[in-house]
Amino acid sequence: MHLLAPTTLSIAPAELPGRVRARFAAELRRAGSFAQLGMLGAESCLDAAGGEGDLGAVWSSPLGALRAIRAALDDDLRHDAPVMPFTFIAMQPHLAAALLAQRYPVSRSAHLHLAADAWPWLLRVAQGWLATCDRVLVGCVEESGDDAIAHRSDWCLVQNAAAAGSVRLEPARDASAASSATTADWIGRIRDWRADVRAPLELAGGGEAWRFSAPA
Amino acid sequence: MNPVFVRAAALASALGPDLAAAVQRVSGTPATPARVPAAGASWPYFSIPVAADGWMQRAETIARAVGDDLRSRAALSFRDWAALPCIVGSSSHSVGAWDGGDLEALPLPLDFSRSLAAWFGARGPVMVVNTACTSGLSALDIAADLVAAGAFGDVLVLGAEFANRVTLAGFAGLELLSRTAARPCDRDRDGLVLGEALGAVLVSAAPGPWRVAALASEIDAASVTGPPPGGEAAEATMRGAMGIAGWRGDAVDLVKLQAGGGPMADLAEARALRRVFTAAPQVVSLKGAIGHTLGASGPAELALLLGCLSRGRVPGTWGFETPDEEIGIAPAGGDAREVRRVLFNLSGFGGNVMSLALERTG
Repeated sequence: MHLLAPTTLSIAPAELPGRVRARFAAELRRAGSFAQLGMLGAESCLDAAGGEGDLGAVWSSPLGALRAIRAALDDDLRHDAPVMPFTFIAMQPHLAAALLAQRYPVSRSAHLHLAADAWPWLLRVAQGWLATCDRVLVGCVEESGDDAIAHRSDWCLVQNAAAAGSVRLEPARDASAASSATTADWIGRIRDWRADVRAPLELAGGGEAWRFSAPA
Repeated sequence: MNPVFVRAAALASALGPDLAAAVQRVSGTPATPARVPAAGASWPYFSIPVAADGWMQRAETIARAVGDDLRSRAALSFRDWAALPCIVGSSSHSVGAWDGGDLEALPLPLDFSRSLAAWFGARGPVMVVNTACTSGLSALDIAADLVAAGAFGDVLVLGAEFANRVTLAGFAGLELLSRTAARPCDRDRDGLVLGEALGAVLVSAAPGPWRVAALASEIDAASVTGPPPGGEAAEATMRGAMGIAGWRGDAVDLVKLQAGGGPMADLAEARALRRVFTAAPQVVSLKGAIGHTLGASGPAELALLLGCLSRGRVPGTWGFETPDEEIGIAPAGGDAREVRRVLFNLSGFGGNVMSLALERTG
């Protein structure tokens, strides 16, 4: 597999509506902040990666659509009112996938909740999907529940073929020699390493390790 | 790539707390679901007939029973069972446990799924998949990929959806619910009836009674809440699954429909079916018997269907009475001894559409 365009976004909650308007005009006005965050990060990654082909999108988050869940609970359980479609608990990740599919040829998408160090599952899933998709977007999104803490939306793109600027990735033989990474930081660490490649990068998590190296 | 099999399956649903009870019950007289309040009205709802003190205790009681049932069917060693990785598909997770207090006290999706896995006795890694109504089948899809790639020999797949008012209120808000009954493919269908279920499937590299021949998926982005009337995505997934499996149209013996009684969704699937097959195969819907169990519906309906087929019967479609000329297909039960190839359709919010191809091995 080859990895392209490791992209990290850090967005203050107060700045999110403006960033969404700037990028999507009114298109995502009714989408919740979790879907908006996912879309902003995924599109930034696709912009950086270029290329074309069928897409899969697999992304994880520790909490999911936190604000939408709060709104849904508040609407329903406190007030016994119908939950609004765009705060409905199950809607946000799928809304993002559908919105992405309206703009790109996305044929499969899944939102995962993983252990804090289990990011290699994302690559395992992507590896399986590359049997039917040309490219798979892999994301880690964290919606902040605190206005003082930035939202995060980190994405990269994996595919079977090497491309300009791509990084080769494969399971590492020895997990003990790799440095530990988390679901929240592994994409950022690849981005930083890629800016100054001197030796292959080995990252471990969830009991396995992956090796990242610049293509020959 | 390794071949992938369904080694065993188990289920708690409105038909009973275990699979044997459900298989027996579904061959009997259709039952009317109880009504529950939400969003200022009352709605029919298919509840699992298990009582306990508190939401979490009830979930544990249900899970432990399904776990024991699956374990007895799987015939894995204690050691292999304890090491099982678990992939949980759900759309609502533990939100029904919220009692109006602090949201921080509500278990996170991963923590609740870890509890589910522990109640099953599975101590391997846990992952949660949320693709709305297709969550459980997406979990099975990922499990099948992992088994095919040799990452694991067996993977426990759970589809879990337990009663909660938020989901019911959400569907009410979207005006997708029937106020009376689920009538899949029926002329008088007027919406979905929701239900709760815990479906469990053991996906394995070791030979089992059914082989996973293919799984195809599409995202239909036309609408996030329902398919366009043409059913193009359902057609593409059925054709995709059959193509991967290497099946011709006349090789399919049975199609398990997504159909749950939604006026447009059932029609779209029927139109897709009529384009894929020159002569429609036997079709069945299970949502009239257990409701639309959302994220659980993949493993839950799969467990129920395979349980019935192993007993030699295609179950009848509860709620289907009057054929609809526009739909043009009529679900029917019957003898299953000749059923060897099954297409299993599922779709949901976000435009996720999936079709699983299963082939009997014995």
